[in-house]
Amino acid sequence: MNTRNLRTVGLALALALLLAACGGDGAATTTTGTADASTVTTTTAATATTAADPCLIVGALYGGPVTDAGYNQAMHDSVMAISENISCVEIIEAENVPEEAGATSTMENMIQQGAGMIIATAFNHQYPALELSNKYPDVIFEHAGGWEMGANFANFFGEPPDTWYMMGVAAGLMTESDKLGFVAAFPLGWTLTFINAYELGAQSVNPDAQTVVAYTFGWGDATKEAEATNSLINQGADVITMHVDGPATVISTAESRGVYSIGFQSLAAQQFAPEGWITGIGYTLGDTLTWLTSTVIDGTWEPIFLRCGIADDCMAMAPYGPNVPQEVKDAVDQARADIEAGTKVVFAGPIVDQDGAVRVAEGEELTADLMGSVDWFVEGVVGSPR
Amino acid sequence: MSELALLGVLSSAVFAGTALLYATLGEIVGERAGIINLGLEGVLLVSASTGFAVTSLTGNPYLGVLAAVFAGGLMNMILGYMVLNRKANQLASGLALMFFGFGLSALIGKEFVGAKIVGLPRLALPGSSGLPKLYASLLHFDLLIYLAVPVAVAIWWLLFRTRWGLGVRAVGESPETAYASGRNPRLVRYQALWLGGALAGVGGSHLSIAYAMNWTEYMTAGLGFIAIALVIFAKWHPLYAVAGALLFSGAVAFQLLLQSSGIQVSPFLLSTIPYVLTLVVLMAWGGRRKAAAPASLGQIYEGTE
Repeated sequence: MNTRNLRTVGLALALALLLAACGGDGAATTTTGTADASTVTTTTAATATTAADPCLIVGALYGGPVTDAGYNQAMHDSVMAISENISCVEIIEAENVPEEAGATSTMENMIQQGAGMIIATAFNHQYPALELSNKYPDVIFEHAGGWEMGANFANFFGEPPDTWYMMGVAAGLMTESDKLGFVAAFPLGWTLTFINAYELGAQSVNPDAQTVVAYTFGWGDATKEAEATNSLINQGADVITMHVDGPATVISTAESRGVYSIGFQSLAAQQFAPEGWITGIGYTLGDTLTWLTSTVIDGTWEPIFLRCGIADDCMAMAPYGPNVPQEVKDAVDQARADIEAGTKVVFAGPIVDQDGAVRVAEGEELTADLMGSVDWFVEGVVGSPR
Repeated sequence: MSELALLGVLSSAVFAGTALLYATLGEIVGERAGIINLGLEGVLLVSASTGFAVTSLTGNPYLGVLAAVFAGGLMNMILGYMVLNRKANQLASGLALMFFGFGLSALIGKEFVGAKIVGLPRLALPGSSGLPKLYASLLHFDLLIYLAVPVAVAIWWLLFRTRWGLGVRAVGESPETAYASGRNPRLVRYQALWLGGALAGVGGSHLSIAYAMNWTEYMTAGLGFIAIALVIFAKWHPLYAVAGALLFSGAVAFQLLLQSSGIQVSPFLLSTIPYVLTLVVLMAWGGRRKAAAPASLGQIYEGTE
């Protein structure tokens, strides 16, 4: 295998280390309840009159193709919602920008074209965007899912862990073999947190449920995804889900092998599994991005570390598949109600890792700023977290 | 390790190894005629994206395979024109063809990223219906998988048991001698390249239409180069190529099994196993392979005209 993969792996390792190093610091203000509907509509009304010249040019870049029915499509749909809600905004987009060098030149180019706001959506875009934010203090930079902050650099994202717990509840009830297959791109902190939340959800309804993990070492490597999915199914997994960019390969493969699947990233994943689909979660950040953009337009933008969950409509659940019984739907609804009421906290102690060591003590909780630097799997996950 | 797990590895290996086997067979045919095609990676990509696009447009995966076969053949014709008519360096032309393939496949596949297709239908292995459900589910394969070994045998027969095959091998050893005995080296090489490209086309289409059921840019991820290495491993022999493809894809399947078996070894390290194995095999068998290589491999035939 060639330098491309080695470089990706190296980069991921380096970033994972940085992630671990930076995880603790930063004035991380977690804000929930973001999109203030009235602000948005007023902005639309005020700006609609100044038609001809765009009131703001937004440059958005994606790591992969925006039609991938996965992460990039979800981000693209969210960005396009800005111009649907605020008609005077002009959007410039660039897809398939996976590398740091390409991201830098793409963003420079967008700024030359007059972009006053940059939305960078891939993991590898964070540091190029941060550097450019120093060079162009008048341009606002927003990164999806990052952790760095600056005077004109902030980040936004959905909060998937709670929803992964709900998916785990569904999977734990649907499985007959008690083995859930999880195809992951890299052993990164957030991915491990998703897998942990998924397993905890499954355990809550099915104490025997195990989550078996296989890595592909690429965000969009279809061949490796097919290999990993087949391998998990051949080991007896009968519910498959994934944290890679596009769901097409993993879910099509699960469907062709006659096992259940659960989607992630975009709600569009459902089309690939007409029979075996259980449910799925997707990012729906359109209102949040619209609100952020409106604050850029009226000059009130401030750097906030913005995270919002399913209760804020930043994430949404896909419809259930045809073979999901009512009691499973009820159990998921119950889990969601408990989480939203605050009676259920996914990472509340005691939480024990694979080796039996206590990672979160009784009476404590794993906080959001630590979830990105998790390097352990909860008991019940089969696979290596490093 | 249970029987079921081992059968699982074998089933994964057969699935993953099919595209590799077709690609290796295609490269063998070309190299037997004296042409080394370093652009195989690009040929695979173009046929994978073409096959996927046609399947998506027509809804018929078999038409997709057919289109991929033509796309693979045409890609090799480009190489043929460069090295046979223009007498360009084979290695440089191959690399250029590869990069051309990267771009062309991305262009063809652009509109079809994320499209849902009907993959090649899976048929149960005859006789497997009596097995327990878990075992039987491992033995559902598509037509291209069932045909892989018969095709390898057919290529062996073609190369070693027919007049045409004799001509191909003669041209690969010494085009001058072949010309003196009444063969047209350029024509034979074009024919071998067409057949090789068509076989690579089958491999590429298996990847996108049957295996991943998806098109992503650069989805071959080095498969073309593994195939070129396997040609050396297989001593330019179609039947040994079957063993080589199964060994490599078996290693891929095995490392995935290890990854998810709970042993605490870095998955980064485990995922290198198939490639380390390739290196070890090439090193161990290295020098002695040389004798098996077609003598005129990679050389430019100036012709007699």
